Amino acid sequence: MSKRAAELVLLVGFIGIGITLVLAFLKAPSVSINAFESPDAQRIFYWHVPAAWAAFIAFGFLFVGSALWFFKRSDFGWRMHVAGAEAGLATGLMTVWSGMVWGSAEWGVAWDWSDVRLNTFGLLTFLALFLVLGRQAQPDGVETRDTFSTFGLFGFVLVPVTYVATRLWQIRHPGPVLGGGDGGSLNNEMAAVLFFGAISFTTFMIGHVLMSMRITLLEQRLESIQEAMDKV
Amino acid sequence: MDMSEALLTLSNVTVRRGSSDVLKNFNLSLKSGQSVLLNEKNGAGKSTIIEASAGLLPLETGEVRHHGALVLDSSGRSKRPEMAFGLTLQSDGCIGSQRVEEHIFNALDLTSNRIDIEPWLKRYNLAHRKHDLIAHLSGGQRRKVAMLAGMLPGFVGDKPRILLLDEPASGLDQPSRERLVEDLHALRERGNTILLASHHSDFAACATHILEDNELIAKNPDEHTSKKWVDVKPTAKPRNAVFRTSMTLNRRTLATLANNGIAGFLTLGILLALVDPKAVDSTLVQASGLYLSSAFAAGLVGDSIIAMLHEHRALDWWKAHRKGIPYSYLHGFVLGMGLTMLTQLGFDESVSWLLALIGGLLTASTMAIVRWFDLATSRLARPKAVYTRILTPILVLPFALLVQWITDSNLL
Repeated sequence: MSKRAAELVLLVGFIGIGITLVLAFLKAPSVSINAFESPDAQRIFYWHVPAAWAAFIAFGFLFVGSALWFFKRSDFGWRMHVAGAEAGLATGLMTVWSGMVWGSAEWGVAWDWSDVRLNTFGLLTFLALFLVLGRQAQPDGVETRDTFSTFGLFGFVLVPVTYVATRLWQIRHPGPVLGGGDGGSLNNEMAAVLFFGAISFTTFMIGHVLMSMRITLLEQRLESIQEAMDKV
Repeated sequence: MDMSEALLTLSNVTVRRGSSDVLKNFNLSLKSGQSVLLNEKNGAGKSTIIEASAGLLPLETGEVRHHGALVLDSSGRSKRPEMAFGLTLQSDGCIGSQRVEEHIFNALDLTSNRIDIEPWLKRYNLAHRKHDLIAHLSGGQRRKVAMLAGMLPGFVGDKPRILLLDEPASGLDQPSRERLVEDLHALRERGNTILLASHHSDFAACATHILEDNELIAKNPDEHTSKKWVDVKPTAKPRNAVFRTSMTLNRRTLATLANNGIAGFLTLGILLALVDPKAVDSTLVQASGLYLSSAFAAGLVGDSIIAMLHEHRALDWWKAHRKGIPYSYLHGFVLGMGLTMLTQLGFDESVSWLLALIGGLLTASTMAIVRWFDLATSRLARPKAVYTRILTPILVLPFALLVQWITDSNLL
């Protein structure tokens, strides 16, 4: 893969996210004023849902990377763990921040501690923050990798819990807009903008993962050179 | 017992520390009465062999067995050794707030036997320090306490034990080292298996083998006249070391009150300052959340005993024995109950004993989860530089659901 591939994918993702915003404000149809407390704020949906989608994929990378390190001792797996945590933090914060803005407008509160989906997703983001900050504070080594991979593996339990949360405990969050069993509530134009957003955020996230994995690889190479120099 | 049976076996053991393999496919099999000296240069992996033998380090490959039974293997299977062993770690493993005799009794109680320690304290010139806090001792005296805690289990009971001694003579004066060599002779003659790491050449005198380049070189121990200088006989009944240490440390340091209690009292103070008691209706969902919040805040601080063990680098000593790690659950429970009652009284409510009980359980269970976070990250090179508190919001949702349940159940 070209050395610039990661930057290119990241750039395409950024541009796609920009276009998604433009489409959300200018192209997506308005929603019924009877269905929402704050219909204009509903346009945050085109940012919020794709960001959450990308975050779930990033947490998937985190889980697979953690498992590869923990069970196979794969350096590639560790790089994937690091990249998944960083991309999960970036997209998770995008989701949480946009959700809080939307929640303030729609529900009147930015955060509801009793809403299960809101909290489990927030925790996933906190987990990613813990993994990113924690790794930076520790020297690289098997102890660090084992500990954080364990948290990555256990933390992934929150992903299916978050996914099914609105089916089991629908408190504030609405039920699923796609694949919810009742044909969903989106018309074609809305679905198209949402789909474009999902592709863009996913591209951004993949670019982020590729770039992060490359940086971690360079860090590992630098460390092995330093270790070789220590022995001289 | 069959004397040909290996007491300590390390089979094909690989241990990684940091980014390098400190031990690679290492094999060691020690029988009763064998005493091995590890005296290679720094960084050769002496402490790693001792810690791996104690089952303290995760294995990349291989397994560790005590008395033929599995203790730890590379797939993560871990079992408590059937026979307690003696352990002196490089980091002492003593808690500064414990008394000299308490730490030694802990080591003996873990073997489910006790012997009179007075003659041993006299022998190593510690008798006058018996009731002193370990924090008040000099480095050498502290090392003697750690050494006795690792060595004395070998004099307990009729069956031979494994003794793992990492630099037991570090900081010890010459007369103490000479006595230690005599005692190691006696321990070996009792059939114990000794694995000893030290740079002091004195210990070659009592070793049956020396480990060089991962090869056991057999040698004859020096001639010595075995002096039965003290009668080793069981004395008082052993007690539960974990429970006693938990109670003693909390009573002596007031750690739970000072750390968890302060967080709870501060929360209570803030609530009383900001919330008008007349505006609180006990039938509302906020009421039970309000009354329980100081107990919850106290639990979020975590278990102060774990912080104390970390501070004194004593956590590994307790972990190695696999008989539990001291805790503050009982103190947390009482504190949580007290805080919940005080909060109710602060808001002019009559005390609900059921809610107080829930408050106690809330503090203890919250403390247990935060303690788990702390223990799960204890292997890191810098355990205090890890942001485990970032994960504590995981507890807010269960707290919110508990408050909702209390309100829905009309418990108040």
